[in-house]
Amino acid sequence: MKRFYLYGVLLLLSSCQEEVVLELKSQEPTPIIEGIWTDAGTINHVNVSWSRDYYSQEPNAPVEDAEVFIVSPTNRERVNFKYSEKSQRYLPDDVLGGKIGDIYELNVKIGENRYVSRGEMLAPPRLDSITYSYKEGRAFRDDGYFLTLYGDIPFTEDNNYRVRIVRNDTLLNRRSDYLLFDDTFGTTILTKGFELSGFAFEDKDKVRLELYRLNQDAYDYMSQLVNLLFNDGGLFSPPPENPKTNIEVVAGEGEVLGYFLVSPILTQTIRINPE
Amino acid sequence: MRFLIAFGLLMVFRSFIPEPALAQQENMLTGTILEFEKEEPLPGANIYWESAPRQGVFSNSDGEFSLPSIGLPAKLVVSFIGFQKSVRIINSKDLEKSLRFYLRSEELALDEIIIRDRQPDQNVRSLDMGKSVIPIATIKNIPALFGEVDLLRSLQLLPGVQTAGEGTTGLFVRGGSADQNLMQLDGAPVYNPSHFFGFFSVFNPDALEGIEFYKGNIPAQYGGRLSSLIDVSVREGNYDKIKGDGGIGTISSRLTVDGPLFSDNSSFLFSGRRTYADMFLRLSSDPNINNNDLYFYDLNGKLTFRIGQKDKITVSGYYGSDFLGLSGQFGLGWDNLVTSAIWNRNINDNTFFDLTLYHSRYQYRVNFDDPDSGFIWQNRLSESGAKAEWTYLPSGSSVLKWGLHSQYYNFAPIELNPTQGSILESINTNARNGVQHNLFVSGTADVHPDLRVEAGLRWGLYQQVGRGVDYFYEGQLPAPGIPVTDTLFYSSFENIKRYQGLEPRLSFRYLVREDLSLKAAYNRNFQYVQVASNSSAGLPLDRWIPAGTYIEPIRGDQFSLGIFKNFNNNTWEFSVEGYYKDLKNIVDLRQGANILFTDNVETELLSGLGYAYGLELLLRKNVGKTTGWLSYTYARTWRKIMGISNDQWYNPRFDRPHDFTMVLNHQFSPRWSAALTFVYTSGQAVTFPIGSYEVDTQRLPLYSQQRNEERFPDYHRMDAAVTWKSVNKGRKWRGSWNFSIYNLYGRKNPFAYQFTEIINEQINFDPSLGDEIYSRRPGVVMTYLFTFLPAITYNFEF
Repeated sequence: MKRFYLYGVLLLLSSCQEEVVLELKSQEPTPIIEGIWTDAGTINHVNVSWSRDYYSQEPNAPVEDAEVFIVSPTNRERVNFKYSEKSQRYLPDDVLGGKIGDIYELNVKIGENRYVSRGEMLAPPRLDSITYSYKEGRAFRDDGYFLTLYGDIPFTEDNNYRVRIVRNDTLLNRRSDYLLFDDTFGTTILTKGFELSGFAFEDKDKVRLELYRLNQDAYDYMSQLVNLLFNDGGLFSPPPENPKTNIEVVAGEGEVLGYFLVSPILTQTIRINPE
Repeated sequence: MRFLIAFGLLMVFRSFIPEPALAQQENMLTGTILEFEKEEPLPGANIYWESAPRQGVFSNSDGEFSLPSIGLPAKLVVSFIGFQKSVRIINSKDLEKSLRFYLRSEELALDEIIIRDRQPDQNVRSLDMGKSVIPIATIKNIPALFGEVDLLRSLQLLPGVQTAGEGTTGLFVRGGSADQNLMQLDGAPVYNPSHFFGFFSVFNPDALEGIEFYKGNIPAQYGGRLSSLIDVSVREGNYDKIKGDGGIGTISSRLTVDGPLFSDNSSFLFSGRRTYADMFLRLSSDPNINNNDLYFYDLNGKLTFRIGQKDKITVSGYYGSDFLGLSGQFGLGWDNLVTSAIWNRNINDNTFFDLTLYHSRYQYRVNFDDPDSGFIWQNRLSESGAKAEWTYLPSGSSVLKWGLHSQYYNFAPIELNPTQGSILESINTNARNGVQHNLFVSGTADVHPDLRVEAGLRWGLYQQVGRGVDYFYEGQLPAPGIPVTDTLFYSSFENIKRYQGLEPRLSFRYLVREDLSLKAAYNRNFQYVQVASNSSAGLPLDRWIPAGTYIEPIRGDQFSLGIFKNFNNNTWEFSVEGYYKDLKNIVDLRQGANILFTDNVETELLSGLGYAYGLELLLRKNVGKTTGWLSYTYARTWRKIMGISNDQWYNPRFDRPHDFTMVLNHQFSPRWSAALTFVYTSGQAVTFPIGSYEVDTQRLPLYSQQRNEERFPDYHRMDAAVTWKSVNKGRKWRGSWNFSIYNLYGRKNPFAYQFTEIINEQINFDPSLGDEIYSRRPGVVMTYLFTFLPAITYNFEF
C-alpha cells in the first residue's frame, strides 16, 4: 500500500491535503432503513433511524415507534419486530429465521409513510473447508497468514456474494475490508481455492468468516456503498450518489435510504495456530 | 451523388495525365520586404516559391519585388543572410494586392514573424469563426507546468475551452465533453492524446509545424466529432542541411533532428522525448522504490518527397507509450501508434488533389503477476481510413472543395486471461466494428463585395458491421437484469445497424467596414463513436463504444454569431462571439455501471439531451514587443438524461460560467523575454453532501438527488516564465534557458474534496496500523496540487 502512496506522490508531485470547513446545505431528516434477514434467526434485525446534518457528531436518531414486520407470500408467515431499547434496533419475535427458497417482504410503517422491500432466501453455496498458510509480502499485500476457502458454487445465476470477517471478535469494517464478488471471473473460484489475499492474519488470531449470497439489488447496493466510500470527489471518480436503495415508498411521500438484505449465511471459525 | 463520385473519379484520372507545359504566367505576385525592427525596406532579400527555388527574384533598393506566380496556393519563401527565413502560404487572392513581409534578425525569436504568417486583417476578412491558429512559437513561450510545453494545455487558455481540473490536458469545448474533440496528427485521429493519466499531452512541440483549432464553424471536409477539431501537423524536415534542436527539462528531455534525405527534393525529421522519473527511482536504496517503473516516451518521424513540380508525398508516424510498474508484479501500460501517408498534387494552376491514408491504434495492457489471482488484461481499438479531397479555385476568391472519406473502426474484444495457477476465469467480449463513408462538398465565394459565404454539406453513412454479436432484450429495453431473449451472430462486414445523416455547414461574413465585420455560422455534426465514462478526466482504460442497435449516434447543432474588429492598423484584434449548441443522444452511465468487462455495454448506458450557450470576448495583440491576449467567456452547459439527477436538467462538472484569461509575452531585448499568464474561472460544478447517515457500520454522506448543484471555490492562478537566449554570433550551437513558475502566488485551488471521517484528529489516519481510536468526527479533506512549482529547461539548436 505504501508503494501506491509513493506513486500518488510521484504523479501529483507537490499535492497536499488539509482539512477545510465547507458550508453545506441541510435537509429534513430522511428515514434510513437497514433490514437484515437471514436463515440464522439470532442475527436478524431491522434498524430504523433518521439522517442528520453532515457535521453533526450525534448518532443517528432511532425511530422507536415504527411498525415493522416481515411477511412471506410463499409460506404465508408473518414475523413481527419490536423495538429494543438496549440495542436500539427492531428484533423479531421469531428467532427461527428464514427458509431457503422462500420470498420475504419487509414492511416498515413510520407515521403515514409505509416502506416495502422484497428478497428471496437463495440457496447457499457449499463451503467445505478453510486453510491458511504463511505468505511473503507482495505488490498488493503485506506478509502474514492468509486464508483459502474451498467449496463449490453450483449456480448459474444470482451469483452475488459477500464475505465478512471477524478477527478476534472484532468485525473488520474498513472500506478496504469489504469483500464482494460475483461471477464476472467465473464460478470455479471456490473449487480452485479462493485465497483471501486482502487479509493478512497473525499467529493465534481467531477468525470467524461469514459468507452471504445476496439478491442482485442488495449486492448492487453494497457495491455502490463501497464505491462511495472510495469516492475521493476528484476528476477520476464518478459523481457521488447515494447507493440505490431496494426499498420502495408505497404510501406517503419523500425518499428512503438503506437496504433490505435477504441471504443465507455460512459461518466458519478458524484459529491461526501453526504447529 | 453519382455526379460527385463521377467527378471525383474524373479528377483522379486527370491527376495521372501529364499536363502540357505551363503557359507564360500572366499574374505576378508583388510585395515589399521590410526589416522588422526598423520597418525599413530590405534590399537584396531572396524571394522564391518553395517548390521552385531556382526561379526566385531579389528585392530592389526599396525592398520591392515582383515574382511570377505559379499554381496557388503555394509556399513563398523570403530569406536574407542574417535574418530568419519567412515562409508564407500564398493564395490567388494575394495576387490582387501588394504584400508586406517582415524579416527579423537571427538574434531574435521567431514567434512574431510566424504570427505575421496570418494575413494582418484575417480576423475581420476571413470566414473563420471559433477558429484559432496558434503558432508553435507562441505555445513555447507560454509558461508551462514542470516546464513541459504542452499544446493542449495552451489551448485551455483560449475562450470557450474549459479544463477538467488542475493540471490536466482534457479539453471541454463549448459545453462538449472531452471525447467530442477530434484530435488528429497529420490527418490521422489520436484516440488517447494524453500521458501520465492526462497531465501531459502526446504532442511533442519540437516536432510540430502548427495547430489549427476549430470550435465553431468546422469545414465540411472534417467530421466525426461534435465539439472541435484540433488539427495538428508535424513539421517537414528542411531541405538544406542537417539541423537539430531539443531540450533538457525538469522531468523529460527531447531531441529533434531534420534535414535533407538523399537529395534536396526529400527530407526527414525524427523527434523523440522521454521522461526520466524512473531513472531517479533507480537511485533509491529502498527495493520497494527502485524496483518500480514510471515513464512515458514519444517518437515522431516524417519523410517528405517532392516529385517534380507538382507532387509531394509525406509519410508520417507517431508512437507514444506510458508505463507504470510496481516491483515487477503489476504493470499498466498504454500506447498510441498513429501513421499517415499524404499525397499532394497540383493538378493544374487552380486544381489540387490531396489523398490521405492513415491508421491509428490505441491499446492498453494490465498485467498482475500473482500465483493465485494473476491475469493479463488487454484491449485495443483502431481506426483506418482513406480521404480524397479536391480543391478547385475557379476564379478570384472562390474556392470549391469536394471529396470522400472512408473509415473503418475496430474495437477489439476485451481480453482478460488468467496466468498459470490463477483462480480467475478468462473474459472475452465480442469485437465491435464500424464502417463509415462520408461525402463532402463545400463552396466559398464573395456573393457581394462585402458578403462572403461558405456553404458545405457532409453526408455520412455509418454501419455497425460484423464480425460481432447483437443481443435482444425482453421488451427491447436493455437494462441490468433484463433477460436476453436472443443473440445474433454476424459474419465479417455483415450489416448490424445502419445510420446516415446530412451535416450542413454554413457561414457568412459581412464586411461592414475594412476593419469591422459580422459573421454567422451554422454547423451540424454527427458522432458515431464515443467514450462510455462518467468520470471527468480521461483514463487509459476508458471504453470507446460505436453506435449500434441501442446506441444512437450523437448529434450536435451549433449556431454562432460574431462581431470582429481590428484596431490601430491591425495591431489589435477584437472579437465577440456568441453560440448556442444543441446535443442529442449523449450518453452517461447508470449508477454503479460496470462497463469494463461486459459484452452487454448497452445495459449500462443512459442517453439524453444537452445544450450549451455562451459569449466569448477576445482582445488580441499579435505584433510588437508585447503580444498576447485577454479573453472572457460566459458559458453554460446542461444535460438531461432520464435516470440521472432525478430526471432533471443538470450541469456537468465542467460547467464553469465565468472564465477570464490573460496571456502576455514581452521581448525585452534580443536576449531576454518573459511571459505571464493569469486564469480566473468559476469553480467546477460538483455534488456536496446535505447530510449523513449510518448503514452497515459505515458513516455515509447523504447526497441530494440533484447532481452538481454546488461549486468548488473559484479557480485562479498566475504563471510566469523568463527566457534567456544566447545571441547568435555565427556559432553553430545556440542555447537558451527557460525558467518558469507555475502558480506564482501559491493559490490552493482544490483538486478534490473528500467527505470522510477524521479519526484521532488526523486526516490520513490508517486504522490498519492498529493504533487505538479515541475520536471520530465528520470532516472534509481538500486535496490541492502544484502550489508554486518552479521548473528550468535548457533548449538548444544546432
